[in-house]
Amino acid sequence: MRFILVDEILEMKPGHQVRAAKFISPDEDYFRDHFPGFPVVPGVLLTEMMAQTAGKCLDAENPARGKSMLARITSASFRDWVRPGQTAIIHGDIRTSRPQFATADCRIEIENRIICSAELFFSFVIMEKFSPGYRDEVLEHFLERQKSGAPATGITP
Amino acid sequence: MTQEEALKWFADLFGLPASSITPETTRDKILTWDSLGVLTLMASLDETFNIVTDDASMRAMQSVGDVLNLLRKHGKLT
Repeated sequence: MRFILVDEILEMKPGHQVRAAKFISPDEDYFRDHFPGFPVVPGVLLTEMMAQTAGKCLDAENPARGKSMLARITSASFRDWVRPGQTAIIHGDIRTSRPQFATADCRIEIENRIICSAELFFSFVIMEKFSPGYRDEVLEHFLERQKSGAPATGITP
Repeated sequence: MTQEEALKWFADLFGLPASSITPETTRDKILTWDSLGVLTLMASLDETFNIVTDDASMRAMQSVGDVLNLLRKHGKLT
């Protein structure tokens, strides 16, 4: 299983704000167990979607600082189920961004309704810790698209 | 902010009962004052009191009293 929980960055102001999307495929393996007859996206994955989204906004701001890593879930609440076939729009507002840490207020919306929200805390790990050549494909795709002026591709099943 | 309020802020930050800490409580007695705890403290000083600290000054803090002194130095503690 890959662990890329963001399909596409829709818009981003590095270090400040980001909006991204993730289509919830009915084929996700975890729906077999979570739960039979009532498939819903686990809250931990929703939290990870928010962390990955806000993390990309931090990584784009200052790559020299290292890669942002979720260090603490300060708070998280879940208001409704996320079901197969839906598209999650993930918002991240960076509250504080410092050389050693960052905090972000995040939320996920489905059809303009807030489904969950979280306050997340990030620390940073120097890039030398990761495999040589490690790249964030989703972030790179966004930055290339931004450079070329092309619009977001849109989220398709 | 009074010292009592500051102790409550610190205790909440580290998930401790306020009654369990005094200015004399040392870092080694607070299990959650680890490397993540240091970052948590830095973030709260920044966001709550607008005090931006560096790694060296955070490393130098070895007791709750040191944190209170920092607040005092920045005029946040009466």
